[in-house]
Amino acid sequence: MSAIRVAAVMGVVGTAVGLLALAACASSPDENRLTVVITPDFDTYVASVDAYLTRRCGSLDCHGQPGRAYRIYSREGYRLYTIQDGSLVSGQQPTQAEEQRANFQALVSLEPEEMSRLMGRQGENPNQLLFLRKPLKIERHKGGPAMAEDDPGYRCVVAWLQIPVVQGDGTPIPPAQRAKLSTNALRNCATASDFP
Amino acid sequence: MRHPHHSLRERVGRSLGLFAGVVLVGSLGSSCNLDPVHRAGVNNLGDEQGGLYPPESAYHRPGEPCALCHSAAGPAGLQFVLAGTIFWGPDRYDRRVNKAYVRIGGPEKTTKCFVTNCNGNFFVRSEDYKNLKFPLLVSVERVIDPGGPGPTAEKSIRVRRMSSHIGREASCATCHILGLRDFGSPGQIRLYDTESEVDTAKPPIPAQCPNVDEPPLTQCPEDRL
Ligand code: HEC
Ligand code: HEC
Repeated sequence: MSAIRVAAVMGVVGTAVGLLALAACASSPDENRLTVVITPDFDTYVASVDAYLTRRCGSLDCHGQPGRAYRIYSREGYRLYTIQDGSLVSGQQPTQAEEQRANFQALVSLEPEEMSRLMGRQGENPNQLLFLRKPLKIERHKGGPAMAEDDPGYRCVVAWLQIPVVQGDGTPIPPAQRAKLSTNALRNCATASDFP
Repeated sequence: MRHPHHSLRERVGRSLGLFAGVVLVGSLGSSCNLDPVHRAGVNNLGDEQGGLYPPESAYHRPGEPCALCHSAAGPAGLQFVLAGTIFWGPDRYDRRVNKAYVRIGGPEKTTKCFVTNCNGNFFVRSEDYKNLKFPLLVSVERVIDPGGPGPTAEKSIRVRRMSSHIGREASCATCHILGLRDFGSPGQIRLYDTESEVDTAKPPIPAQCPNVDEPPLTQCPEDRL
């Protein structure tokens, strides 16, 4: 119930932003304006989701490429060369915390407003995200189908996206007080990380 | 060069003529591909090195991205769906693995095995792998005496597995870039991580390639009748 109200509020915000964008043609940009993105739970991403996504999507011939909006760094593909004096080598050192953070940021910033709305409605209807529409082939995806709604990887990702990060009335839930993945979800994430 | 006294229409006409010329040349030979990215990629590989291998043969251009040229875009006529070269160590170009078993695992638990030739190359045409579907898992094995007699002939010298998978790329060397081990490439495909390990292992490297006296091995143990 209240989740829906938040979504509605977010919708109003979205419209306001849209109007602002129109108005921006005339007025000078407001340098103090800040777009706040409500992001999914970072700790769960690092602990359970990153391994699957880097493996499934991050090979060098797919999203392990610098030119992609959803660009993935990992041991098994492309490395973040700005850290450790550029000494990370593809296939060698394990995926680093900085890389996982960069992967998380790339994912969230694909569609920041859409992600905020999804978090606002506590993960309900996750297939609104381009991030899922593409691998499910609801929308054109150069890499073909890469997930299915009944595979453990998809379930792992959705379980993560459904961890509430704001209360129904929009109050943020501090990371330490957030729900954890269920045993089932954890198993799905582990299975998916072993892909294929 | 600019010709301010020429009318715009004249200039457009001229460049159209030039364009038509390019199209004509393009359609004459498949090697003159009009995709500038593809053409640059092919040109970057440089000329064949006749001193190192027989040009334009199954033994040529080891370590290079075979399917860049062996694709619909050309310039090669023969098209590959997978191809590459296996090396013994991470750095040396001249120590390549002959008769290596390259095993490919598909998403539906199908497996296929291919054997490298005396220059370390292997290649797969679409008719060799009809149910090919990405993503793929890969492993490489070299045994003591592939296809040979004796109880230890098929005993493994070395097996290496790629822990990540191939998402859609046909050339191993597009990721495994020759001479480049860095943030964007794991370097040439190798069975040992250091050249000194290769020195110690003293792996068999054919003195001559191709060698008419030695018929090529084409089948992995699991495919032999
Ligand atoms: C999409 C990029 C990509 C393609 C294409 C690719 N590899 Fe790899 N390969 C990697 C990466 C990255 C590593 C290092 C990390 C790992 O093991 O996954 C690797 C590692 C390996 C290893 C482990 C030992 C080593 O050399 O590092 C083998 C063996 C291997 N690849 C074989 C192959 C073969 C054979 C092909 C072609 C059929 C191939 N690879 C195509 C990215 C690729
Ligand atoms: C720079 C482009 C280029 C690259 C890279 C390249 N080839 Fe070729 N290859 C050719 C051309 C051109 C021919 C001439 C025959 C043809 O048109 O197929 C040829 C011929 C061949 C032939 C003989 C075909 C026949 O009909 O007799 C084989 C087999 C072959 N290449 C395998 C490979 C393998 C394996 C690799 C990678 C290790 C490779 N090639 C890399 C361009 C290339």
